[in-house]
Amino acid sequence: MPVLISPAEREYIINGVDHNIRADGRGRLDYRQIVIETGLIPQASGSARCRLGEGTDVLVGVNVEVGQVDMEGDDEVIRERKSKRGRVICNVECSPIASQQFAGRGAEDFNNELTQTLDRVLNGPQGGLNLEKLCIIPGAECWVVNIDALILDYAGNLLDMVFITTRAALHNTKVPKTIITKTEDGLEFDFSDDMEDAERIEGWENVPIAVTLSKIGSRHIVDATPLEELTVDARLLVAVNKNGKICGVQKGGSGSIEPSLLNEMIQTGGTIGQHVIQKLDEQLEREEKETSKKIVRNESVGKLGFFAAI
Amino acid sequence: LRIDGRRATEIRRISCKPSVLSQADGSAYIEQGNTKCLAAVYGPREPRQKSAILHNRANISVGVSFAPFATSERKKWGKSDKRLLEIASFVKQTFEPVIQTSSFPRSQIDIFLQILQFDGGTVQICINATTMALVDAGIPMNDYVCACTAGVIQQVPILAYDDKLMSQDNPVDLNLIEESSNSPEVTVAILAESGKVTLLQSESRLSLKKLQAVAQLAKAGCREICDVMDKALRKNVKDLFGKMEA
Repeated sequence: MPVLISPAEREYIINGVDHNIRADGRGRLDYRQIVIETGLIPQASGSARCRLGEGTDVLVGVNVEVGQVDMEGDDEVIRERKSKRGRVICNVECSPIASQQFAGRGAEDFNNELTQTLDRVLNGPQGGLNLEKLCIIPGAECWVVNIDALILDYAGNLLDMVFITTRAALHNTKVPKTIITKTEDGLEFDFSDDMEDAERIEGWENVPIAVTLSKIGSRHIVDATPLEELTVDARLLVAVNKNGKICGVQKGGSGSIEPSLLNEMIQTGGTIGQHVIQKLDEQLEREEKETSKKIVRNESVGKLGFFAAI
Repeated sequence: LRIDGRRATEIRRISCKPSVLSQADGSAYIEQGNTKCLAAVYGPREPRQKSAILHNRANISVGVSFAPFATSERKKWGKSDKRLLEIASFVKQTFEPVIQTSSFPRSQIDIFLQILQFDGGTVQICINATTMALVDAGIPMNDYVCACTAGVIQQVPILAYDDKLMSQDNPVDLNLIEESSNSPEVTVAILAESGKVTLLQSESRLSLKKLQAVAQLAKAGCREICDVMDKALRKNVKDLFGKMEA
């Protein structure tokens, strides 16, 4: 991954963006092609892998396990509410294979940043997932959703891909069915090991995705490549859900954005995000239909898995 | 017949592909049964730390990581987990004499391995993936290095230590369940052309009489794996040539 950029290259990119032509021929608001596949990891509750163009590759595994309810909070009301919900724990890791700079401790700060961003959106009020449904016994046990994102290859636009892949992995996640029985000591629960009884995690369709808009010169672009990322002054992350509602905004980078441009960028982010979600959902549906067709015809459901190439 | 339906001397289904990553100088993805590994090679390039500079040859560094969802129970592996460091040192030790490091003095070759799913045979799959990634990166080596595990399952009564019987019962290319059982197991890495052994590792008690037979079995397994890897690498180069001609 390049860490230095020459002034000539920088000028070239800025001028290109100004004329709505980027180095690979895309327009300012064009995404690279996204290939998604779910259900690659049999031992996880849900999984997905997304490849963006010929570069960025993100693999997300979701593991649903039983855990203690989170009872922390200063306020009595907050504690009461938390005791009736499940938990979502996010973890993003940049594998050293993705880029030279992720070796050793190089990726630590970056990992933290990505994890916090993902965590903030998914655990926020617009997170989408129905956490109440994930509670088993209020005040005691609940389902803990562990989301592990692993970045296998880096070619720009990591955060967007992490969100998109997380959403796809949650679509693929199944939560085992719990049976609650009343005994003299209180409530006891059991869950069936049979995967047929497991139900899809509720609320996955409301999980937002992120669109990173990068300000280059006086214009903004979507889906930056590593070289473009080096010329960026300021970055705006817009989290959008499928209804086009903005679920979160975060500004990054050392430059500044004028308020009028800021509004425009958020609007653009919202429209593009909604469009991406639509395409993504279509692809997921198509994949699911094909998989069930293959199962009905008793054909082996061979996943392209890591051999998927464009 | 073993737990997964294989015969004693049958290796797991293996598929591999080089050149899978866009940023690395060389990369490979290999699947042996349910164990999946991605390898990336960066180098030769300038060392990050001055202390790593060797005046007469290249410095090789290996890093191994497991994904949290690699095992059936989710587990977050720390960067300096002792087991991972040990596997990394085995890989480094295996490749140091094979890579022609004297061609690149004062430089560094980084090998990173990411295990995506784990079902037994980490050291062997790491070595196999590294070989393919190094070839893909164009780093000159003396030979292919292929690795395989072999074990001993005691199904015969103690008196019958017959050579013929042993070669019938000893399993090759163990998966996780077989590894976790208390039977002894040996990992062998060989150079494909010369047949020389570059790594022989075993943590269990194994009598010397059996060691010979078990090592032979592992070598045979290595040869099979080597054929598959060689085919995949040649196919990749042919494809590249095809694209250039068109």
